[in-house]
Amino acid sequence: MPVLDAKPPKVEAKRNRNQFVRPTVPRVERISSFAILLLIAGIGAAILIKGRRFDPNIYSLRPDALKSTSKAVEGKSATLRMGRDNGGTEGTPSESAPKTVAAPAAETSVAGEYAEAATGSASAKPATGEPMEIALPGIKPMGNTEFYSSETLYEKIDGRAPAYVSFNIQQLRSRSFSLAGTTAGYVDVYEYRFDSPINAFGLFAQERDPKGKPLEITPDGYASEMGFFFRQGSVYVQIICSDQDAKTLATARAIAENRAKALPVDDAGLAARRKLPAEGMVADSVTFVPENALGQSFLNNVFQATYDFGGQKLTFFLMTSTPDAAAAAWKSFRAFSGKYGGTASELPDVNGAKIFQAQNFDKWKIIYQREGEIGGVIDATDTSLARSFIEKYLQGQLH
Amino acid sequence: MNTQPDANEPEPSGVSRREFLVRAGATGALIAGSIAAGKALWQPDHFVPGFEAQSGMALKNYKLDPSKVLPSMAIAHGAEHEKVIRAAMTALGGMERFIQKGDVVMIKPNVAFDRPAALAATTHPDALRAVAKLVRAAGASKIIIADNPINSPTGCFIKSGLRAVADELDLTLLYPESNSFGPLQLDGEILKHWTFFNLPFKRATKVIGLAPCKDHNLCHASMTMKNWYGLLGGRRNQFHQHIHSIVSDFALMMKPTLVILDGMNVLMSNGPTGGRLSDVKHMGTVVAGTDMVAVDSYGYTHLLERDLSELTYIHKAHDRGLGNKNWKDIFYKEVQA
Repeated sequence: MPVLDAKPPKVEAKRNRNQFVRPTVPRVERISSFAILLLIAGIGAAILIKGRRFDPNIYSLRPDALKSTSKAVEGKSATLRMGRDNGGTEGTPSESAPKTVAAPAAETSVAGEYAEAATGSASAKPATGEPMEIALPGIKPMGNTEFYSSETLYEKIDGRAPAYVSFNIQQLRSRSFSLAGTTAGYVDVYEYRFDSPINAFGLFAQERDPKGKPLEITPDGYASEMGFFFRQGSVYVQIICSDQDAKTLATARAIAENRAKALPVDDAGLAARRKLPAEGMVADSVTFVPENALGQSFLNNVFQATYDFGGQKLTFFLMTSTPDAAAAAWKSFRAFSGKYGGTASELPDVNGAKIFQAQNFDKWKIIYQREGEIGGVIDATDTSLARSFIEKYLQGQLH
Repeated sequence: MNTQPDANEPEPSGVSRREFLVRAGATGALIAGSIAAGKALWQPDHFVPGFEAQSGMALKNYKLDPSKVLPSMAIAHGAEHEKVIRAAMTALGGMERFIQKGDVVMIKPNVAFDRPAALAATTHPDALRAVAKLVRAAGASKIIIADNPINSPTGCFIKSGLRAVADELDLTLLYPESNSFGPLQLDGEILKHWTFFNLPFKRATKVIGLAPCKDHNLCHASMTMKNWYGLLGGRRNQFHQHIHSIVSDFALMMKPTLVILDGMNVLMSNGPTGGRLSDVKHMGTVVAGTDMVAVDSYGYTHLLERDLSELTYIHKAHDRGLGNKNWKDIFYKEVQA
């Protein structure tokens, strides 16, 4: 009869276990391990593949979800800005247009409904910036101030946004105002703030209405048939009327004057524009190209204007930079102009400026460089007129 | 001699049977728990493109069979919206050719911006009024107006003046709400799965696109094909990188009963928003037809007065057999209102 060994003491068993080294791994355990590893790898691969097609809209913030917590955060720092905007009546930090800010009862139906409509935006926008307050008689806000960053600008102007982004827009602040005593009259105010006055000017000039009438309240501005447009400092202001009614236009003009007074004057970076001669310049033809002007990577921050001499048009451009950069740009431009069937040759220096002329197809260009300045006439059909223009400019005879 | 192993004695492999069972059980429980938790946390109602077993909605074909005796495109010129649209439809054989008694008609305007109608960035209220009257006279039981502007839809409909027309003619105006969207399924060049404003299409038996003709900063022109962009949900600006591909995909996505291009006042520059009357040119023309590609080809060359060779999406759509960019090759009629 077999005799069972007595159980070893627990302490002994533990000691044996700690010292035990497994010589082999059983087959079943190995298969299980591989199965688990394969499962993990499979999950990872599935996430990788499926994650490449992702609709971020699903995970966008639902402002409604914040309602339950709005009371708890009311008055906290994150809500203060919003509170100022809406008079402190609503506290959800991500809503730029609270529902409760309805137009006063005396307002027109359009104003009242628009105030309700302000919540209809597709996604929540951060409430950043000061609300647009315009203290003028006869107007009332139709809703809250709307704010858009360069990332969300498309929500307001959709396919137009890339043009603004290319000039480094920082923020759009806009608000609509209804006119008291009208059935549907309103004025939309848009303030596009750029990173610099020069970029604000760039977009303003790009969109300029050639038929616009000069606006006396600010140098870079004009009155259009349905609105007012101007650049002041880093801000490009658009004031657009609902119609051409005299009262609506008068209100819009008053708003334009209000905004021109409120915004700081700043022409930093625009000094080069003043070098463009005024003589012969077609009114309001100045444009600004931040980069790749004339298709050349070395021509950046370029001002350009059109001149008219007895019906003959000339296009003149100018870039200011360091002397080395201007000299390098001139050299590169000369080399480029001699390519692709073009001919380029140097002309005698004028007043210390180097000049070359080039012909590409039937068009001429006369390009000069002196110190930290490069410029010239492009696309000219009359080479003598172009050359005369440049020589006069370099000799200080054009003002 | 003792030959029976102790239950706690390690096997030659080093793990006792009991310990193996305990470990295997714990591992199994962990896996089962993870699967259960994943299942509990899974939100089947959310549409995550690519994840779902169920594919999205494929829009049905609202097109009528082509006629051998009636033109498929009409160009009308004149001074007043209503008269010109009426003339274009008469040239096509009347609205009755497209709309039958009892039809639920979805009219898709372009209401992308909260701009006044005079700036020509949106479908003009006079155009909507004229089309809606014709549709109603043809016997439609219900007329739905729907668009999904990214900016405040209500504000866009109010400021464009379309809300007033909807009220005046008792049209059903559907604003996009969170439950108005569903997944769209398409085998497009770039558009495969996407959230889509599908609510109007659950009810509509006929679809009419009513678009303004305007300049567009990104794709050169916004006309009848581009108009369907307004039905997409989500962060659709992602498609701006492939704007020509997606606009051509709309010719695959949507087979409307009729499209009408309003070229009475054309936004010639600074599109798609505009902002100045100087951007707008009076052209006094309306083009109606069943081939979006042909209608847009006419619009680009004769209303925006540009070279068709630069309009990539038209060529893409044509090359994919989704329409005919050579509008003169189709049966068309030109009339004066």
